[in-house]
Amino acid sequence: MTDAALHAPAASTEATHGHPTATGLSNEKLAMWVFLGSDCLLFGGLISTYLLMRHRSVEGPGPTDVFDIPFTSVSSFVLLMSSLTMALAVAAIARGDVHRNRVWLGTTAFLGAVFIGGQVYEFTGFYREGLGYTTNAFSSAFYTLTGFHGFHVSVGIVMLTTLLVMSLRGNLGPDRAETVEIVGLYWHFVDIVWIIIFTIVYLIP
Amino acid sequence: MAIVERPTEALTLPPVVTTERKPLGVFSRPKATTGWRSWVTTVDHKRIGIMYGAAAMFFFIVGGIEALAIRVQLARPEQELFSADLYNQLFTMHGVTMIFLVIMPLGAAFMNYLVPLQIGARDVAMPRLNALSFWAFLFGGIFLNTSWFLGGGADGGWFGYAPNSGVVFSPGHGMDFYAIGLQITGVGTLVGGINLVTTVLNMRAPGMTLMKMPVFTWMSFVTQVIIVFAMPVISVALFLLTFDRLFDANFFNVAAGADPLLWQHLFWIFGHPEVYILILPAFGIVSEIIPVFARKPIFGYPFMVFSGIAIGFMGWGVWAHHMFASGLGPISVAAFSVSTMFIAVPTGVKILNWMATMWGGKLTFTTPMLFSAGLVAMFTIGGLSGVTHAVSPADTQQTDTYYIVAHFHYVIFGGALMAFLGGFYFWWPKVFGYFLDDRLGKVNFWLSIVGLNLTFGPMHILGLQGMSRRVHSYRADYGYDFWNLWITIGSFIIALSVLLLLFNIWRSYRRRHLQPAPGPDPWDGRSLEWSVPSPVPVHNFDDTPVITEFDDWWHRKYAEDESGRLRKVHEPEEIAQVGDGSRAHLPSPSYWPLVLALGLPFVGYGLIFNLAIAAIGGLLLVAGLVGWALEPADDPDLPPHGHDDDHPAADGGDAAAAAEVPAATPDEEEVPAS
Amino acid sequence: MPRRLRYALAAPALLLLGACAEDAPLDSLKPAGPYARMIDNLVDPVFIIAGIVFFGVQIGTLAIAWHFRRRAGDDELPTQTHGNFKLEIGWTILPALILAGVAVATVLTILDLEDHPDGALEVTVIGNQWWWEYRYDLDGDGEAEIVTANDLVIPAGEPVSLSIESRDVVHSFWIPRLNGKRDAVPGRSHPLLLQADEPGVFRGQCTEFCGLSHAYMRMRVVALDPAEYAEWEAAQQEGASVPRGSLAREGMELFRTTCSGCHLVRGEGGNEDVFNGAALVSGAAPDLTHFASRGSFAGALFDLWRDLDGNGEIDADEIGGEMNYADLKAWLKDAPSQKPMSPNDGRGMPNLNLTDAQVDALVAYLETLE
Repeated sequence: MTDAALHAPAASTEATHGHPTATGLSNEKLAMWVFLGSDCLLFGGLISTYLLMRHRSVEGPGPTDVFDIPFTSVSSFVLLMSSLTMALAVAAIARGDVHRNRVWLGTTAFLGAVFIGGQVYEFTGFYREGLGYTTNAFSSAFYTLTGFHGFHVSVGIVMLTTLLVMSLRGNLGPDRAETVEIVGLYWHFVDIVWIIIFTIVYLIP
Repeated sequence: MAIVERPTEALTLPPVVTTERKPLGVFSRPKATTGWRSWVTTVDHKRIGIMYGAAAMFFFIVGGIEALAIRVQLARPEQELFSADLYNQLFTMHGVTMIFLVIMPLGAAFMNYLVPLQIGARDVAMPRLNALSFWAFLFGGIFLNTSWFLGGGADGGWFGYAPNSGVVFSPGHGMDFYAIGLQITGVGTLVGGINLVTTVLNMRAPGMTLMKMPVFTWMSFVTQVIIVFAMPVISVALFLLTFDRLFDANFFNVAAGADPLLWQHLFWIFGHPEVYILILPAFGIVSEIIPVFARKPIFGYPFMVFSGIAIGFMGWGVWAHHMFASGLGPISVAAFSVSTMFIAVPTGVKILNWMATMWGGKLTFTTPMLFSAGLVAMFTIGGLSGVTHAVSPADTQQTDTYYIVAHFHYVIFGGALMAFLGGFYFWWPKVFGYFLDDRLGKVNFWLSIVGLNLTFGPMHILGLQGMSRRVHSYRADYGYDFWNLWITIGSFIIALSVLLLLFNIWRSYRRRHLQPAPGPDPWDGRSLEWSVPSPVPVHNFDDTPVITEFDDWWHRKYAEDESGRLRKVHEPEEIAQVGDGSRAHLPSPSYWPLVLALGLPFVGYGLIFNLAIAAIGGLLLVAGLVGWALEPADDPDLPPHGHDDDHPAADGGDAAAAAEVPAATPDEEEVPAS
Repeated sequence: MPRRLRYALAAPALLLLGACAEDAPLDSLKPAGPYARMIDNLVDPVFIIAGIVFFGVQIGTLAIAWHFRRRAGDDELPTQTHGNFKLEIGWTILPALILAGVAVATVLTILDLEDHPDGALEVTVIGNQWWWEYRYDLDGDGEAEIVTANDLVIPAGEPVSLSIESRDVVHSFWIPRLNGKRDAVPGRSHPLLLQADEPGVFRGQCTEFCGLSHAYMRMRVVALDPAEYAEWEAAQQEGASVPRGSLAREGMELFRTTCSGCHLVRGEGGNEDVFNGAALVSGAAPDLTHFASRGSFAGALFDLWRDLDGNGEIDADEIGGEMNYADLKAWLKDAPSQKPMSPNDGRGMPNLNLTDAQVDALVAYLETLE
């Protein structure tokens, strides 16, 4: 056997610490992918629950009674744009532009917060129209599904803000671009889940 | 997760806790290497594995006592030694304990200890996350069992069907402990799955391609992949139940239009892959032991690997065979009936391959080999009754009777537990540096076999004769008296065999200095864990091995001579690693996984009793997360590591340190952060 | 196959069956009707195949363990066989083929069992904590003409189409000698067919964990020959008449005041005018209009009559014979002490604090409810 065959595939690692991994992905990045895979099942379970329950309410408002598709479309667009700014943030740090990275990180977090704000506004509106958490089958399933998603977005905002603070303190240089990328993976996932939720819950009757 | 990992050089661990730098100004970084503090802050996969095993054995006794109480009640007809209410708690807690707090953690014990060793790694991908897994399991298990003292154990069955599990029909706190307790242990399990999947994919030694990994590592890998996808589903189910119970949601409120089958589907979509989580590590263990004591390689390595993968995939397509009587309709029933039959195929392949491994070998029946052969025989019985369940019309007679109880005890006790017991005897010298007594071990084995068959064999008959599960009492004229009495006797034989195991452990420990040291490779093993000293040094490998083939360690000991016959060319002691850790650097111990895990039961108690407690739990969670995130994987204060000391630990290190990345060589395996 | 071999293979099955008690009223291996028989016929060959594999593996393992044991002093390595592709493919495909055969037979049986014959008697079976109710809507107008509990009375020799439902938690309706079980899920209705070849009594058990008295939630199917069944059906549709005896009348008055929160008796001798049924979570307790026409009570936990012929069962001809006063009085005196229930939560029958005299009066009244 040749020498080359005796060694692990000389992978170009994106690890910040440079040790080789068999897949070529750093442990942190691979772990994030695996975590996102598990999160798919979490949302899969919640979406299936929602699909089963949404038309089984005995009383109280149903989806068509409360949804404001135009409004939710705008907030969905905001979240979608935040994925764009996230990608820009990753690109910025990859090419060493620490300043731009900060701008885009902050913008992403801000857009995420706007999305959450929109959800809060939307749900308080629903509540006033008679759709509380315990009102009926649809309401419990709806608020639980969107609540879990909103929680994921909020965790993402915390992570983005943490990165921003680190950057402001000079601790997020281009050598740590992968960290931003990993948070980016999470953020894009959360956005994709929203697209699916928006489609299934709001758009498809 | 620390943001940067700063590699350090030689790790010398002073025995005294120093108080040099205080991260966050509060805690100094733990440095103890001995004593209870070193266990509580450990991130070493080996210690974590040992703790999983010890905790699992504790819960095994708890669950065993619950089982004996059940059997005492059922020994005679129409007995009411325990009220129906208490009995319902006993069988619920017995099931939950045995599955989630015994078999799963026993599997975790072996997987944690062995997988990094078998792939030639220093530790798992994220050592602190590994510690979190253990503490979450332990605290979740303790939390669940405190229900006994706080209003009564969970009483809705381990499967907790709605609406019986809701507040109307289970008004006590027991089911809250069930739902929240399993969420807490579930966090540990899921996080462990992510960790081990990453480890196996990323951290194999040079030359160890996937198809050169030991079968145990492969089965562990498939198990962890199943975990990653199955745990979120039970998590959803438990969230829905918790929201119904605590916040008046409508997920299982039939009056509000809910369908109780939602719970069943969610539970079993988790529940069926769960049984493969229970058994696959055991299949892996047996696949390691039999070749060693047959002195020939596993028969059909590719088939063994691919049958495990097939089980992992097909296990997702059979869940509704737990619901054949639930009113699914003939089309669903037929589909799941057929898919369930076919999952017997890869399992059958394994049985035959193990027998073929033994065929033509030179078999030595040490205790581990006895237990492994025991699994081959006993699991088959459980597998065959399983095939009869797959015939769904027959299952409408069998389901919810003692015939099912017989089935799953044969596969879990006669399968998983047999392998774990054999695994104890096999790897004990490697882990602890002394043998468990083999003669006592053989008695342990035979008592187990007799106890298992006397306890669970007659249950087949009882089930076919109509004895329902989960009944606290049965009529005297139904024909169940005879076998129930013998089953109870059998259960006490099992208890005796467990006591014998514990006695063996205690006695062997006491007499450990009276036996010769096992050395690195007492069994003439085949995989990498036998190439390092016993007990395994904290750093695992002095030098990362370079792998050229499957059973690489074996092939370093044996080579073909001129006439083509295999001869031993090296004794293990000649070529085993010596335990020189001077080239190793290791992840440092940490408090934060413990702190974070501790927050979880507080949140649980708070949700049940008083939100102020939950707030405390929340603070612990946040503190744990923040402390963890800000803590570097390796302690910057430990001497000497060749870096500047002018970076405060609070910011997780700086870019300059990260830039000092040594060239990766096969000799210096860096342990990554987290 | 040769006789001896057949017996040898059947031996374990026979051994097991022989070790079974003579008297196993819920024995699923003793079908008493066509549906249970279909299942039995399907699964018996599977048991035999399983038996063959069982013996093969057990004997094989023992034989291999013995034959290939390492002899003392033998340190040579055995031949290092790594596998045999063809053999492994073979023992992957062969079990798959066998199972495919079983699968085909299974699917056919599933379909056969679903085959609902036209004109079958239809009964709605409703599970409650911890008893079964049966509602017969004979003319299909949506109103049940007959409402009974515990004993499901059916005509023998004919298929009966059940709709299994629940008012509270998931239960399961199972009469092993007549068919497999079907779950009773609240909010759903599940079909199940029963047919008894001959008149007789067939016992059942709730087989889905349903709380405190899951073990004590039982039922009996009483199959009558068609003429007797017709009589029964007619009698059940009449209301109760006012009892003649003074103690029984006293019992009726007591019943009206004490029991109307849960139980209904129809007819002039009953409590239709004061019944409200609101005290229970499930909203229902057994309809007692023809209480004394049943063989069991309290969720079929207790026999209502004495087993005069000693065959271990209350047959149709023993109903109306000697009443089991001891258990009945104990039940009325303090029901929760006889069967674990949760009356304070609205689930089960409470202790009504009756005096013995009051219990006697009630019993006298109940005896008139034929």
